[in-house]
Amino acid sequence: MITAVGRVTREWVSSVGRGAHFVVAVLRATRDFSSWRGEFTMHARILGVESLPIGIFIALFTGIVLALLASYSVGDLVPPYFVGTLVQKTVTLELAPVLTGLALAGRVGANIAAELGTMRVTEQIDALETLTFDPMSHLVVPRVWASMLMFPIVVGTAMLVGVTSGWLASLGLLDITTPQFLKGVRIFFTEFDVRYGLVKSASFGAAVALIGCRAGLTTQGGAQGVGRSATRAVVISAVMILVLDAFWALIWLTGRTIR
Amino acid sequence: MTDHKRSSDFLVGATVLIVTAVLVATVLWVKQADLGGRKTDLVVRTRDVGGVALGNPVVVRGVRAGQVKGIALGEKGWVVLQLSIDKAVEMPSDPVVLLVASSLFGEWQVTIAEAAGVPADRELRAALAEAHTTGDTLAGAVLPDIAQLTSVAGRIAGDVAQVADRVQIAFDDRAAKELRESIRNFAQLSAELAKTVNAQSKNLDRISTDVQDGLKTVSAAADNLNRFSNRVDSATSRGELQTIVDNSQHAARELVTAATRLREISDGLGRTESRLSTAVTRADSVFSKVNSGQGSLGLLVNDAALYRNTDSLVAELRALVADVKKNPKRYINVKVF
Repeated sequence: MITAVGRVTREWVSSVGRGAHFVVAVLRATRDFSSWRGEFTMHARILGVESLPIGIFIALFTGIVLALLASYSVGDLVPPYFVGTLVQKTVTLELAPVLTGLALAGRVGANIAAELGTMRVTEQIDALETLTFDPMSHLVVPRVWASMLMFPIVVGTAMLVGVTSGWLASLGLLDITTPQFLKGVRIFFTEFDVRYGLVKSASFGAAVALIGCRAGLTTQGGAQGVGRSATRAVVISAVMILVLDAFWALIWLTGRTIR
Repeated sequence: MTDHKRSSDFLVGATVLIVTAVLVATVLWVKQADLGGRKTDLVVRTRDVGGVALGNPVVVRGVRAGQVKGIALGEKGWVVLQLSIDKAVEMPSDPVVLLVASSLFGEWQVTIAEAAGVPADRELRAALAEAHTTGDTLAGAVLPDIAQLTSVAGRIAGDVAQVADRVQIAFDDRAAKELRESIRNFAQLSAELAKTVNAQSKNLDRISTDVQDGLKTVSAAADNLNRFSNRVDSATSRGELQTIVDNSQHAARELVTAATRLREISDGLGRTESRLSTAVTRADSVFSKVNSGQGSLGLLVNDAALYRNTDSLVAELRALVADVKKNPKRYINVKVF
């Protein structure tokens, strides 16, 4: 049993070390700007722009549900404008980054893992290495940076859509006027809310891309291996998003008040 | 491939720029940032800011006029607030700043008010006087919020509890007996008082009735007076009074004339009376003479024989006249030739 615990610990530390080594390799490959510059916008388009509908769709319904939930939960106990406060705070700080991140973890993480995994099992990556192309700078770095940049764009859009849909839901479904909703939005709003959500989403983007790339590059076997890599990438990405969410909350929200 | 790459570049760039611009604009709009220079800054110093936070509304005469832009610790224990106010807002004369809780949910606001209009709270006014400066910096003070009031209420409740404890200690068996006796005495006193009140209430009722009647009489008199006034007013307004006065003057003049005539008649009557008196006197004299048998009439009245002779003469005269009428030719014989 002691041996088993030791083996598990060693494997865990080893995987963390490999992950850290992978991150360091990505950072090192980032310096080779000319190698990944050409691929960046294409991946930004695939991972970010084409993910906008998902983010908008999620935020649209999240805002509506939040407005109704806020009204249902607090009822007449608090002034109606607190619906605006709740929608703004919740969407900006938590739901837009996390829900969009989880949705993109499925889409982006699986996409990257499947793509790179397929390249791995079909030995395209080996071919690149044979041709002295660095797979990190050509395959990983543009995806990671594109994901890291475009996640905040998608999340920012989701924030706007979420608050707007919450506002429209308050107007249409609840007895809340626009001035009341705006009062609630403004009363506790700080730009930190947006900054926090965007930084967090950038970290989510980086994590999802890194995990997807690593899962893809370490794919073994045939199509089954690709499937396993994609699944593993999605699961680990989702878990990592929640871990990072807690991490940022601990770092930025502990001991911090609205003042 | 190049076209695809270029379109990717454009699409990504446009998306990034549009989303960034919209996000920034929205944040600025929600924060009500001053982009057009339409705001001016005010500096306030106070000993404490209570629950005021950045972005809290600044209110002038109940209307939102800006927001709290900065909060910083100042020298000598002061806190300096920086308020961003719309330039168009007209500030009250001699302004002071009150930091108040605007709801029970932790919302605070900064109220700019006239110094004379702040609540008459001694501590508040003292705090404002302490924070007052000669420069552009406004004096500020915190109005007690619900938490402070609750704290005070809690302290009062504690004091009441202490008093209750002391009362409980002082309230032994003897005190209870005395209190019971006092209550009994008080009950007796109350009963007697009730009797007295009951007895006096009848007098009061009577007096009240009399007063009521008196008031009714006064009211009726007032009504009459009012009606009279109305009539006088009505008569005055229609000119009837003037007509009455004119008629009265005319009647008075006629009365004067009549009195004058009456006086003349009276004078005439006086004269007539004197004449009549003279006539009566004369008649009396005549009658005296007649009675005394003086003169022809006296003799006729007093001498029966004479009377009979005269009567006989009258009778013969009547017969003679009758005979003359009957046989005129016997007495009158007219011959022309």
